[in-house]
This record gives sequence, C-alpha cells and structure tokens, in this order.
Amino acid sequence: MIRKNPYIYYGRKILAFALSVLILSVVVFYIARLAPGDPLVSYYGERVERMSTQQRQWAEEKLGLNAPIYVQYIRWLQNAVKGDFGISFKYKMDVLEVIGERLGNTLILGGIAFVLIFAGALGLGILCAWKEDGWLDRCICKIGTITSCIPEFWLSLVLILIFAVNLRLLPSGGAYAIGHKNDIGDRVVHLILPMTVAVINHLWYYAFMIRNKLLDEVRADYVLLAKSKGLDKKRIIFHHCLRNIVPSYLSLMAISVPHILGGTYIIETVFSYPGIGTLSYESARYQDYNLLMVLCIFTGAVVILFHMIAQIINERIDPRMREQEIVDTTEVTEIG
Amino acid sequence: MSEILLDVKGLTHYFRLSKTAVIKAVDDVSFQIHKGEIFGLVGESGSGKSTVARCVMNVHKPASGSIYYQGIDTCDPAQFRKNRKLLQTSRQFIFQDSTSSLNQRMRVADIIAEPMAIHHVKPQRGSLREEAAFQLHYVGLDSSYLDKYPSELSGGMRQRVTIARALSMEPELLVADEPIASLDVSIQAQIINLFAHCNREHGCSILFIAHDLAVVKYLCHRVGVMFQGKLVEVATTKELFENPLHPYTKSLLAAIPIPNPRLERARVWHPFDPGLFDRNGKMVEVSQGHFVLKGETV
Amino acid sequence: MDNLFVQVGIRPIPAPQVKKQKWGRGKPLASIAVLTLILLSCLFCDFFIPKDPTYMDLYHANVAPNSEFWFGTDTMGRDIFSMIFYGGRISLFIGFFATLISTAIAIIFGAISGLAPKWLDEVLMRFTEILLSIPNLLLIIFVQAILGKANVLSISLVIGITGWTSIAKVVRTEVRQIRSAEYVVASRCMGAGFFHILWKHLIPNFVSSIMFMVVMNIRGAIGAESTLSFMGIGLPLEVISWGSMLSLSEKVLLSGSWWLILIPGAFLVVTLLCVTNIGNYLRKCGNRKVSNL
Repeated sequence: MIRKNPYIYYGRKILAFALSVLILSVVVFYIARLAPGDPLVSYYGERVERMSTQQRQWAEEKLGLNAPIYVQYIRWLQNAVKGDFGISFKYKMDVLEVIGERLGNTLILGGIAFVLIFAGALGLGILCAWKEDGWLDRCICKIGTITSCIPEFWLSLVLILIFAVNLRLLPSGGAYAIGHKNDIGDRVVHLILPMTVAVINHLWYYAFMIRNKLLDEVRADYVLLAKSKGLDKKRIIFHHCLRNIVPSYLSLMAISVPHILGGTYIIETVFSYPGIGTLSYESARYQDYNLLMVLCIFTGAVVILFHMIAQIINERIDPRMREQEIVDTTEVTEIG
Repeated sequence: MSEILLDVKGLTHYFRLSKTAVIKAVDDVSFQIHKGEIFGLVGESGSGKSTVARCVMNVHKPASGSIYYQGIDTCDPAQFRKNRKLLQTSRQFIFQDSTSSLNQRMRVADIIAEPMAIHHVKPQRGSLREEAAFQLHYVGLDSSYLDKYPSELSGGMRQRVTIARALSMEPELLVADEPIASLDVSIQAQIINLFAHCNREHGCSILFIAHDLAVVKYLCHRVGVMFQGKLVEVATTKELFENPLHPYTKSLLAAIPIPNPRLERARVWHPFDPGLFDRNGKMVEVSQGHFVLKGETV
Repeated sequence: MDNLFVQVGIRPIPAPQVKKQKWGRGKPLASIAVLTLILLSCLFCDFFIPKDPTYMDLYHANVAPNSEFWFGTDTMGRDIFSMIFYGGRISLFIGFFATLISTAIAIIFGAISGLAPKWLDEVLMRFTEILLSIPNLLLIIFVQAILGKANVLSISLVIGITGWTSIAKVVRTEVRQIRSAEYVVASRCMGAGFFHILWKHLIPNFVSSIMFMVVMNIRGAIGAESTLSFMGIGLPLEVISWGSMLSLSEKVLLSGSWWLILIPGAFLVVTLLCVTNIGNYLRKCGNRKVSNL
C-alpha cells in the first residue's frame, strides 16, 4: 500500500537506505581498525621495518592513523561526503580511481552471470515443476544437487586443468591477453571459464528454489478451482502460478546478490581476473583501509539497494507484502 | 445465594490499534460469580466477551477496574505474586480453538499432565500418566488416546482434551471462552453435558462464554449480556429469558429461531439500532438480581 | 434439566489400519552410508593409514598414484592417501564445531529477538540484515584478521560467528509466531515459567524448521574452510585439512599433477553431497502435500 504522498514514501525508503549504509560503514570501519596488522606496511612496503619511532609517528600522523577511531571515522565521513574517499595505501592512488579501473570487469562478469542465472533458473524451475517427479525433473535435480555442492574454487581449478592445461583451448586467467585490452573477442574468450563457474554454481540452486515455490503454488486451492473450471495445465502455470511467484522471484534475486557477488569474488581470485573481488581480497590482507571501506560499503550498498527495489516492486504488486518476508532469506545458506 | 467467588468491578480494557485509534474492548463491566454457579456471558462477536475472560485469567492487564478472586485482587502484582499458586491452580482457562491451544508436538498424556508438571503436584493416582488417563476417562475418552498427538484427534476430542487439562487441577473456577463454538452440533451437546456434569459433581463455578442463546438457556444459572464492550443486562436465566428489559437483549432473544416453520415465518423482528445505544448509562437494579443498563435514550 | 443429562460414554473406535511401509523408503540411505563410512574412517584412520601423513618424503615428492602411494604424493612428498583421512578429521571437526557455535548464537539471538519488544526486535533484525549484506567471505577475512594467525579453533570460531544470521532469522520468526499461540498463553495461565515454555513449547516447535539449515550449515562450514585455506587465509600448510591440501593445487596446475587437485576435491565434494542429500531429506520431511495438478 503506497501512501497518498509518494514523496514521503520514497523519502522514507531513501532515509532507511542511507541509515543502513551509514551503520554498515561504522561497522566496517571499526572491524577494520580493530584488526591487528600494520597498515603502514601496505603504504611503505619493506621500508617500515627500518623506520625509526619518530619516522613512524610522522607517517602515522600524515595518514591520520594516530587519532582515536571515532575521530578517524568522522574525518573519513566528512571527506567521503565531499566525494573524497582517501587514497589507497597500496596503490598510492585515489581509491575511486583504483576501483573505477576494475569495476567494469566485475560488473561484466557478475552482471552477465546474474542475468544468465536468473533467466536459466526460471526456465529450469518451470520445466522441473511441469514435469514434477518425471525423469527430466529428477535428472535436473540430481545434477543440480551435485553442482551446487562443488566449491567454486575447486570447479575453477578442474576447469582450468581440463580446458587450459590439458586441452589448451582457453586461457587460464586474466581478463585479456597482453596487448589485447580493447579486443572484444579476446575478452569474451577470457570470460568463458569464469562465467561457466559462476553460472553452474548458482544456477541450479535458484532453479531449485523457483521449482519449490512453483510446486507450493501448484498445491494451493485456487489451482484446484482453475482446474475444475477446465483450464489446461499451461494456462494454470503461466497465468496463475507464475504470477503468484513473481514476488518470491524478485526477492530471491535481491537475496542472491551478496552470494553471487561473493562467488564472483572467489572466482576472480582463482582466475586472477582483475575485478573488485581480487581487489577486496588484497586490500583485506594488506589492511588497505580506505580501499577496503569503499569496497565493503559499495558491495553492501548494492545489496541493500537491490533489497529495497525488490521490496518496493513487491509492495506495488501486492499490498499485503508490506511487512512480511516473502522468501526465507534463510533458505539461501551458502558461503560466498 | 452462597458466597461470592469472583467479583469483577468496573473492568475496563483498551486495545491500541495505531497511534490514534483505540478500541474500548471492555468498558466498565461489573458482575459477580457465586460459588457453584454457571455464569453465562453472551453477546455478538467483538462485544468484548473474550477480553473479559482473558482479563479474569490475567492474560491481559486491565486498564482500570479490579477483579477479586476469593477476596484476592488479582490485578495487583504484589497480591498476585503472594497467591500465585492458588490463583494458577484453582482457575483454569478453556480456549475457543482447541487446535491452537494444544501444542501439536506434545502427546495427549503430556498435555493433560502439563499443569501438574508445572506445579509439581503429587499425582493422586500414582504417576502423572495415570492421572492423565483418569482425566481422559472422565471426559469420555479411553486411555488409548494417551499417546496420540492433537492432530490425530477430531475437534470434539481435542476440546475434551483441553477440558481434561483444565480439570486435572480440580479448579474452583473454570473460564470457558466459547468452548463449543468450533464444534459440530452433536458434539456441542456432549461437551455442554460435560460442563453441567462438572458443575454438579464438583461444584466448580464456570464463567461460560457463548453466543448461542439456546446453550446458555440450557446450561447457565445466570446470564450477562454484552454489547460493544458494555454489560447491558444481568439476570438469572429464567428472568432474563422471560422478562428481558434492555432493547438489545430483546432483539437478541427475538433472533432465536423457532423450531416451527409456520411460527418462524410469522415472527416479528426487533432490530436494535446501535445509534440509540447510550454508552454512559448506569446499571440499575430493576428487581431482585436483575440489573439493566439505563441511559438517556434506552 | 436432570433427565436431559447423559453421561458421555467411551466411544469405541476400531484400531486404525497401519500400512506397513518398508523401512528406509525415501530416506537417503546411500548418503548416510557413505557419510558414515567417511566419518568412521576419518575417526579411526590411525589404524589403517599406511604412512605418517606429516612425514615429508622428499625423494618421492610429486609422485603420481602408484602401488606404494595409492593416491600419489604432494609437492612436499606427503602421502595423499594418509593425508585425506587425517585431514578429513580436521575438516569435519571444523564443520561440526563451527555449526555448533553458529547454532548456539542463532538460537540465543533469535529467541531474544523473538521475545523482545518490538523496537528491540527491529534493531536486532536490522543489524542481522546489515551483516547479511556483506558477502560472507569479506566478513570471514575481517574476523580472521582480528583473531590473528589461524588455527583449527580460531577458524571454526570465525566461520561460526559469521554464519549464524540466517538461522537466527528463522528462530526469531518461529518464536514470534509461537509466543502468541494459544497453547503458550494457556501454559502461562497455568503458571509456567519462561524456561518451561522455552523447553516444552518453543524449542520442539522450531527444531524441525532449523534442522535443515543446521545440516546445511555444516556443509557451508566445510566448504568455507576449504575455500579459506585454499585462498591462503585459512589453515597453514602444516595443518593438514582438505582445504590446506587443495591450497597446494594452484601451484601445481601447470605441471599437470591432477591427483593433487582431483582426489582431495573429490572427497570434499562427496562429503558435501551426502550432507546436502540428508539436508534435503530433512526439508522434504517438513512439507508433504499432494499436487493439485
């Protein structure tokens, strides 16, 4: 139910979004600062070991690391509002620049994977629900169970072993061959393996959830009514059941974002694909605070944004959806 | 009549729906229940009958007013704490919906013995299980049901289980919140007979809530009629049915179907206009034990 | 009135006809058997493994499977067959221990949130949502960094304290539903205390709905450990687990030592598969209905 005044409605949503991101940034900031490990190492490299105490102090002051954490946070927030997220200690570049270079790569990999997964999952889900307990359904479910159990990194390794090392058909890593930065064909070839892993790993899981949602619908009483009216199976599934699982489908998409993103990060690391996955992994290992903050907040913000969009669409479709959860977020339990 | 068991004085309870909307579920209700008496509370849905019952059982804390049970003010936390065991064992509650008032994951034997287990009562008949079997037998089920789950029983059987659970503590006061509303008519009769039996054999008082007037007429000694959270008329059953004074009671009684089609068709309706209802009226004793809400309009 | 009263008698009912079902029908027997086999052989591996899994036999480094080294040796000359079972112990232990931690946190957090007043519940749930919005991996890396150098306990702890949110949500929803159920009100009327209600009414009711998730959590934890160790954030090479064995594999990719990748991975996948099958069975137990189509 959207209130009479849409400004208030959307204003509230935006406020909730901003608040969530703010809390997220506080949490990430504190966790990152409380972690042991020397951020100076990532900035000065080996030289830190040879620094005198005074040099260290000077360096910490220069980077603003000696103030209490909340002061550091407020300082960071003030700059962030102006669009200045600080410099990456490791790359000695503006954080946004570092991310900007690689964001596109991740978006291509994650975005295409996302579209493929959800288009495929819907198709497979309907197919399975249609042929419930038939051999096709069983086959898809069995294969799906198996693929969903294979950790991303191991699947990547096996595929590299087969296609890159033994058959020498596809490149084993990277986003493009040296000197072919703008060659689209080359990029596509480099994308095949990571994309396959990303899709295979998640596709079935979501197909299975859609299948289950559809089967729940099929067991509802209105289907019995529709059937007694003489509607055929096709019409019932496509006109009645499918419409009813749209909210679940959208929520599923929203919930899947952190998992697919997380999965993409692992895949990027294995394939040494220059995206923000590899970047966040590096920045966490080397305590590159500024970079890490922005990456985490960015990832979190994307996830929260997707949640909210799904919620708004769902509320438009069905006013009853306001408060309740549509899909158990909970059913999605994967490491990613 | 004999001494007063339960004395409800000026009971009021509100439900807050939102920041602005407040529902007066129960508004200044007073009545008494004597020892060994079945007191019926009737009224249409939403008239606050169940809220009265829940306040009596301390489920809701009333906004104002007081409830005395055997002279104990149950709304006073200090007094409640002091007499907790007495209050919790000698008053028992029977819910309308037996499906939701029984835990689906407990066996019948455990359900019936639950109050005894809570209060660590030493079972009179050896073990808790035998006690449960006895109570089950008492309400007309044999002991083969002891190991069943509520979902395996029919509605009537489940309601008997809830009654058995309530009776296991041998209560003085039984608060039955529409115990028969969700049952088939044939089973309703059995359950009502069970209540009448308990009342006669054990002398336990019953606050019986119903919206079926025929049942109330058959079972209860005295009846209170509620309308929009107000108690509009209290009298003995005989008096009330023969000489209803409040217009709402009149229309309620007139709505009882007559089991004769010819007379039924010829019946004159007495619709009651809620617009005429005066909430600020006072209870007036018209004759011995017959109270009516008298306002300016009605 | 007196003559109207009829004592309600015992209504005789015929004994229900119980259809005898074959035991184990529909149960994932194969998965249970395989998982039990793997569990037992990991537990009692001391009795049958041919070599010392930690001994580095540098003369036989990186040997393909043969009659002496059934599954070959790794780049440091350790016997993979022995390492599999020895390391499986640690992997499985991490799986169970991490799940224990997260389930405990989840039940406590969920019960508090479910029984708390509305505003507190709101705050707690927003908090879990924010935690859920950070990809788990990043969270694990963070917490691992706080705890310092990884060992078996610390990594279980990390996986445990990052993986409880989804179970907590279910517990909270269930508790909220159950706490206003009439049988809880009835129990309270009868004078039941908080722990009586929790133990008798709440826990039995949500156990079945979190069972599936708990089993899946085991799977997640085993997978997480191997992923972490593989990426070099988890267990170091000296501590043998399936993950740390696989962490060698990236370096041997180009040399074509397939046994280093395939064999530990296969064990990992088979274990995860068995756990998943059992989890799916538990989920299916929950909802059995007949299709209307």
